[in-house]
Amino acid sequence: MRMMLPTGSKMAAAFLAASLALAEPPRFSRDILPILSNHCLPCHGPDAAHRKGGLRLDTAEGARAGGKSGRPAVVPRDPDRSALIQRISTQDADDLMPPPSAHKPLDATQRRLLVDWVRDGAPWGRHWAYEPVVRPAPPRGAAAVRNPIDAFVHDRLARENMTPSKEAERATLLRRVTLDLTGIPPSPDVVAAFVADAAPDAYERAVDRLLASPRHGERMSWEWLEAARYADSNGYQGDGERTAWPWRDWVVAAFNQNLPFDQFTLWQLAGDLLPSPSRDQRLATAFVRHHPINGEGGRIAEENRIDYLFDQVETLGTAWLGQTFNCTRCHDHKFDPVTQSDYFRLLALFNRTAVDGGGGNPQTPPVLEVIDEPRQRALDAAAGTLRAAVAAVVAAESSLFPRPEGAPLDGSPAFKDLPKEVAEALKVEPARRTAAHAGKIHAHFEKIAPAYAATLPPFQAAYDRQRSLQQSIPRVMVMEDVPSPRDTFILARGLYNKPGIKTGPGLPSGISPTPEVPASNRLDLARWLLRPDHPLTARVIANRQWQLFLGTGLVKTSEDLGLQGERPSHPELLDWLAAELVGSGWDIKALQRLIVTSATYRQSSQATPEAFRADPENRLLGRGPRRRMPSWMLRDVALSASGLLVEQVGGPPVKPYQPEGVWEEATFGGKRYQRDSGASLYRRSLYVFWRRIVGPTLFFDVASRQVCTVRTPRTNTPLQALLLLNDASFVEAARVLASSLCTASPDPAARIDQLYLRVLSRRPSPEEARILRDAASRHASTFASHPAAADKVLKAGDTPAPSNVPPHELAAWTLVASTVLNLDEALSTE
Amino acid sequence: MNPFDSLSRRTFLGRGATGLGWAALAHLLSRDARAAAPGIPGGSFHHKPKAKRIVYLFQNGAPTHVDLFDYKPRLVREHGKPLPDSYVAGKRFSTMTGKADGKLLLAPVEPFRQHGQSGAWVSALLPHIASISDRLCFLKGMHTDAVNHAPAISLMLSGSQLPGRPTLGAWLGYGLGSESDNLPAFVVMTSVTRNTTCGQIFYDFYWGSGFLPSRHQGVKFRGSAEPVLYLGNPDGIERDTRRAMLDDLAALNRRHHEEWGDPEISTRIAQYEMAFQMQASVPELSDISREPESVLREYGPDVRTPGTFAYNCLMARRLLERGVRCVQLMHAGWDQHNSLTTELYHQCRDTDQPSAALVLDLERRGLLDDTVVVWGGEFGRTPFIQGSLDDRARWGRDHHPYAYTTWLAGGGVRPGMSHGETDDLGMNVVGDGVHVHDLQATLLHLLGLDHERLTYRFQGRDFRLTDVHGTLVKPILS
Repeated sequence: MRMMLPTGSKMAAAFLAASLALAEPPRFSRDILPILSNHCLPCHGPDAAHRKGGLRLDTAEGARAGGKSGRPAVVPRDPDRSALIQRISTQDADDLMPPPSAHKPLDATQRRLLVDWVRDGAPWGRHWAYEPVVRPAPPRGAAAVRNPIDAFVHDRLARENMTPSKEAERATLLRRVTLDLTGIPPSPDVVAAFVADAAPDAYERAVDRLLASPRHGERMSWEWLEAARYADSNGYQGDGERTAWPWRDWVVAAFNQNLPFDQFTLWQLAGDLLPSPSRDQRLATAFVRHHPINGEGGRIAEENRIDYLFDQVETLGTAWLGQTFNCTRCHDHKFDPVTQSDYFRLLALFNRTAVDGGGGNPQTPPVLEVIDEPRQRALDAAAGTLRAAVAAVVAAESSLFPRPEGAPLDGSPAFKDLPKEVAEALKVEPARRTAAHAGKIHAHFEKIAPAYAATLPPFQAAYDRQRSLQQSIPRVMVMEDVPSPRDTFILARGLYNKPGIKTGPGLPSGISPTPEVPASNRLDLARWLLRPDHPLTARVIANRQWQLFLGTGLVKTSEDLGLQGERPSHPELLDWLAAELVGSGWDIKALQRLIVTSATYRQSSQATPEAFRADPENRLLGRGPRRRMPSWMLRDVALSASGLLVEQVGGPPVKPYQPEGVWEEATFGGKRYQRDSGASLYRRSLYVFWRRIVGPTLFFDVASRQVCTVRTPRTNTPLQALLLLNDASFVEAARVLASSLCTASPDPAARIDQLYLRVLSRRPSPEEARILRDAASRHASTFASHPAAADKVLKAGDTPAPSNVPPHELAAWTLVASTVLNLDEALSTE
Repeated sequence: MNPFDSLSRRTFLGRGATGLGWAALAHLLSRDARAAAPGIPGGSFHHKPKAKRIVYLFQNGAPTHVDLFDYKPRLVREHGKPLPDSYVAGKRFSTMTGKADGKLLLAPVEPFRQHGQSGAWVSALLPHIASISDRLCFLKGMHTDAVNHAPAISLMLSGSQLPGRPTLGAWLGYGLGSESDNLPAFVVMTSVTRNTTCGQIFYDFYWGSGFLPSRHQGVKFRGSAEPVLYLGNPDGIERDTRRAMLDDLAALNRRHHEEWGDPEISTRIAQYEMAFQMQASVPELSDISREPESVLREYGPDVRTPGTFAYNCLMARRLLERGVRCVQLMHAGWDQHNSLTTELYHQCRDTDQPSAALVLDLERRGLLDDTVVVWGGEFGRTPFIQGSLDDRARWGRDHHPYAYTTWLAGGGVRPGMSHGETDDLGMNVVGDGVHVHDLQATLLHLLGLDHERLTYRFQGRDFRLTDVHGTLVKPILS
């Protein structure tokens, strides 16, 4: 990236809208509304109940009318007669706005912007995110454009006197896109083939291959699970285990099959309300029910129920609308056009199930039994065995108790003289007998009628088998409306026991487009979200897709596109992407393909320190994305590079290595962590059991799965380094990787080559190779003189060590492999 | 702009990795964070602080104020008589109580006596705390909004009943950074009285960082084998082997940094170096072999047993003197629904002596002057009985959010005083009430922070520990 500005910090500052704006007349939505929102609207906004002085500044009418004082706050073209300008400029602390007690003073630039704006006629407008998306034409004239994304990005760079970076090295690029699209590094063979592929569409073909990989759906599911606050247990006291994982598998399949995002939305919010819903359409609605359940003793059921509804409304707000609804639980929104009554109208749409909030049942109805084919076969087989066993019992009983055709058992003369409890048990139809019944009968007849008695244990076994099979059917909590829904009331301050006026279902009126027909259920809600003229949904989703591949959303605050959120760095690009998304029929893979095949994405992430300082977050996109991978992906990468990864899609959650006592300490011994063995240890992180009260210890910087989360920070703490160095999964991966290197070649140089190719998709430089060769021989001599230590290293994890490599050598190469797995480059996509 | 987004890009260019401590990192990081955070002015305190650090002795499950600190002779006089309706008026209780009217009053299970110059009334159940009452400030007008444990504890520690907000310790780390070179700014330890029937769980959101960067999250030091998860090297890898490996790692990372330019790579070098330092500093912290016998004796017989409250209190002192900003001990088992005459005695036995010992130990070392000690739970317990009057062995009290007692000691707090008052049954606060948010505002104040200005922008709103509430409790400031 070439920098033309004198200093980096100036560059970064230039990015801020406020300083940019000084060069040209202020624009309402970009320059003025953020000031009003942050400094004025908390007291003079849409929240009527808490509005001060009768003044509202969120509408042009309000600003021109003024407040109780009767003086207009804004007189277009006349700053001197505008009360707003006087009040922000006065020296009198009693009169000054915002009041000093609010701790939100305006600076000189902001005051000047407001004055300029009034002088310009105080043009009004809406917040950008509530305006309909109008597909912008890509700027013309920008060079080296692979697709329209680049035209927008290059145009912006040109305005900053910057130029884009060159394309990344082929191997680097393939590693980046493979990890971004599948979460698994490319194998050395695949890298070599790609580097050698001179065809002009080699990269596009690689992208198509990755998008078609089953690993793709697994990789894409993680962020959706975080948005869905998915966990394998309830949370709170008791923290009962759920069986929600069939929903997780549905998500993986939906991404893999590229289910259009409109369907993806409809099914999850309202699949049960579609005409003759399929099993998957009903299963998808589990999304709504992944909230925590509080089973604490003494907890008031209604309070729980209301909490669950709050969670559902707020999850909808964050996941699809990029709006923060939680404020409107208690009062009208201070900034955004969403009122408390909007909130409760939305809540009414969810307030139609039989859930009453009581208890901590992790399978609280309505539930859906999810029976896959193997389970169905097992159930069928068990039912057949049971039928046969019952037939044998019935046959034996008819010879033991001879009686006329059709007569009951106790009509037989042989029935007389039986002990009462045996007789009672026999009177129960065989298929309905309990274990207690069977036991009594068996005890009585074991000696006197052994042939008959012998039919009973098989019956009991078949019965038990069927019962346990039925009990183990995963039951997923899903949505299902009752015919006559409860009444919904606006709750004062959001308190469950302070119902106010009654309200009905509906959609937020302030977010256009307002529907022509009233919304009566979740299906109406979902259809509203998906209207082509809806201003938010497509922008929110396109922005999050951008965040996924470039590290930062075009709107950085991807959870909030409202007035208090950050403005987009490239507003036209965001709108163009949103329009593409809707225009393609909500084709997510197409959008992803568009992004990763752009020249913008394909840029090298290498740059000068000055360039990194100038635009540390790469908001101007003058270089390619370089990021530490998410922690869950780091484990997948280590498993994959070592060859341990078990590529099995779906199924019940797994429990890999975890330090002892973590669950026990958190639950006073109530929950014991019993780790798995065999293949389950090496499944992808997506499948790791998530106990909501104490999440897996081997991840960091991940959502806590308590509430909907669409953006997680990447931080650096020493604890993360300790984990990556010492966690059993990573140590075993290093050891197994070392085994494979040592078995493949006796030559240290070849081993290091292979190690780099597997982990970093490149060969080492001579200097790097030298450092690691020296390290290997130094560690080897240490372990040669401490054979017991070497033996211990070789016992890390369940996988046995190969016998044909000397222990001290294998231990040494384990450390070398661990060194490379912990390189910043190994932890990053670059 | 959210401060955490810039963290990953901070540079340590021009500095060798070795010798760069946690505090240095935190300092560099937080300086940037502050510059970008509207709530923090220029990386310093809002006002001159009275205290540098805080230890919260959180009594999980809600200690019974009427049996321990809030002496009500009328409860003794009217033991077994019905609670007058006028004290209830529309209040809600947990579903175990349902409606409170007509419930029978219950006298404290042990006698109270006045102690020290200040004449503080303390139950005979807590002789050690009673003996230091001239050093304590009792807040008898505490009250809260929540009636169940998890929401009430969450409110107490994070200012919100629902999980997901930053907790006090996280806010302090965010606002003030760390003073320790090799330990985190916010450490949590948990304990529970043995054989308790209480099922309270320590959720990790009790020390979560919410929307603050996750490095502000409390680091839980465990009471078992390894105090910090993943601290120990794998079996067979000795410290000098690890050192050699990290030197190679740093050499390779430095080369790559020169080539690639990303300052994140320098941060990575520092991160691994600090991990190595922590591997030494944490075991040193837990090595109590050089503590004088007299000190150990003061904390009581459990002090040598990891996982006990006594052990944790000693660790708290060791953490505080090594510069840890916030130590949060959580001791569970105070939920006496039916165990006032049994388990309450064990709770007091396990917590009384170590709590007092910690205050005295801090004082002796000159640390009490700038350390705030907080002792208390999430709400109080009903002055009326839960259970049957005839069945003394199963006497209990239900949750009571309307009044309870918390005590403070140390930096900036007036010693030997009692603030706030409940009615003659201990049911309701009648004077100088202190709401949870008021206590939080006061604790932040003691540490030099203004609760209205310590803010963090998330989802478009400037969040505070005290939400939109909280009033400084001035009369207790020294």
